[in-house]
Amino acid sequence: MMSTSLKPVRGRAWLFGDNVDTDQIIQGRYLTLLDYSEMAKHAFEIPRPEFSRNVRKNDIVVAGNNFGGGSSREEAPRVLSQLGVGCVLAQSFARLFYRNAINIGLPVLMIPNVTHSVNDGMTLDVNIIKSAVIIKETGETLSGQPLSRMVLDILQAGGAVAWFRKVKESRK
Amino acid sequence: MGKTLAEKMLATHTEKGKASAGEIVDASIDLLMVHEVLGSRIIPILKEMGVKKIWDPTKVLVVNDHWAPASDTQSAEIHIRNRQFVKEQGITHFCDVNCGICHQVLPEMGLVKPGDLVIGSDSHSTTYGAFNAFSTGLAATDSALILATGKCWFRVPESMKIRIKGQLPEMVMSKDLILKIVSDLGVNGANYRSIEFHGPTVESMSVASRMTMCNMTVEAGAKCGLMMANDAVKEWVTTRNPSAQWTPVAPDKDAHYVADIDIDLDAEPLDPIVALPHSPANGKPVSEVEGLHVDQAFIGSCTNGRLEDLEIAARILKGRKVHQDVRLIITPASQETYVDALRAGYIDTFLSAGAVFTNSTCGACIGGHLGVLGPGEICISSTNRNFRGRMGHPDSKVYLASPATVAATAVKGVITDPRRLI
Repeated sequence: MMSTSLKPVRGRAWLFGDNVDTDQIIQGRYLTLLDYSEMAKHAFEIPRPEFSRNVRKNDIVVAGNNFGGGSSREEAPRVLSQLGVGCVLAQSFARLFYRNAINIGLPVLMIPNVTHSVNDGMTLDVNIIKSAVIIKETGETLSGQPLSRMVLDILQAGGAVAWFRKVKESRK
Repeated sequence: MGKTLAEKMLATHTEKGKASAGEIVDASIDLLMVHEVLGSRIIPILKEMGVKKIWDPTKVLVVNDHWAPASDTQSAEIHIRNRQFVKEQGITHFCDVNCGICHQVLPEMGLVKPGDLVIGSDSHSTTYGAFNAFSTGLAATDSALILATGKCWFRVPESMKIRIKGQLPEMVMSKDLILKIVSDLGVNGANYRSIEFHGPTVESMSVASRMTMCNMTVEAGAKCGLMMANDAVKEWVTTRNPSAQWTPVAPDKDAHYVADIDIDLDAEPLDPIVALPHSPANGKPVSEVEGLHVDQAFIGSCTNGRLEDLEIAARILKGRKVHQDVRLIITPASQETYVDALRAGYIDTFLSAGAVFTNSTCGACIGGHLGVLGPGEICISSTNRNFRGRMGHPDSKVYLASPATVAATAVKGVITDPRRLI
């Protein structure tokens, strides 16, 4: 049984290059902001200052290699999720960003060559469970290695905290 | 098949006592270090989880270090939350704003020993690999789960082996070596992997120099950077935690490594390295950037703010002046380092040279306070990251280097090979 949190995502692509580090996603100086909606106004402020104003629910971040390198800050995936980003597709992820995104319930898929096929603003249909992407404008289909069972379980629960509570409940 | 350091260290923390690369294991944590992220993010998550009492208040270290003392009302509120949490939970190990940077104070307090599994809510938690312990950074949600259960899942990393022999030349430091290694590997060259450092160079290194190397393994994407326990580490642990029982961990001879790298510093002498903006993997020999004007020079951080870093800076600055167009800011890694530097006379040397000497904090390294860069400014820094905007304004630029290169640059006003000032 699939939870609603993993239904397919349809949204516009926001294209980024290789090695987008955590300071490009959210700068260190905003980490003391206690309110995520305030912090989210500064998401991608350096590479794409218009991002937080123009992003729409279910939009998709598309990036090259090593997305999210650097700091352990969970605020990086958290501000994207706060703004309604539906998922992140990248050629590869830095390990901390990958783990943090799953922990907060933001789907992340590794899709080889995704930046070669997707242009900024294209509409994408993403099947999280199958790790498959259809580009509406070109009809091209891309796919990556499906997520592991454990990762899917955490995402389906809505993140690691919800997953923890679910596991705790089931053991009672 | 034999086992790597990472496999052995994780195995002893699992119920079955086994761990092989690629496998996912549940492991018991010996120590969790959390800093301001406790107050800002972890406490709200614990509330959401309904956790009233943490798993073991003697196995947690809380440090107020990133904005220490508080730089604004928000960081002040975070510090208040941390202090309250420490009291409510009866947490044994607490460092308020008068202690120093987490990665320095944790070993100073004797809280890491060979074979331990230490987790920190900070990416530079790889530092404790210098003590022959498995250590890595995780973030708020994982920290909250560890606070609740004392356990965490890990994918056992594949390991790469880097064997280093030969001498570092005069004025060339372990920072130059790790900048070279990170640049050779690339920013994700060790992604998800454990880097094992071996060889006589690492065997004879000081604790401080080893910490600098393990600290920066994360800049190549590594999950951890591990070393065997040398005499300096054994002495450190025995002095700092005399009652602790521990056994050094060594890899098996037939352990499997996904990469084997040999570095011979005698055959190929290392030059001072400078990592150009905006990547720590952008390291070049200092000769390629010599003569470039800087506005600020910074010595400090969990990477290079220790006594030996201040010692080499003091040697260069003794009897000299900081260039009139440059501000040199020096931030010790801990209060202990501060006191030691004071007694050794280094602070006198720094102040006479015209430097600013601050209290211990993460401060300038994260663009927090005590040295934030303005638009267009250029900084040479002994820290670990030069991402765009890391130390302040998005239009500022950071060049990473050793404390020796930073000190020499501060004197000359332009990027300078420290060997010119011997």
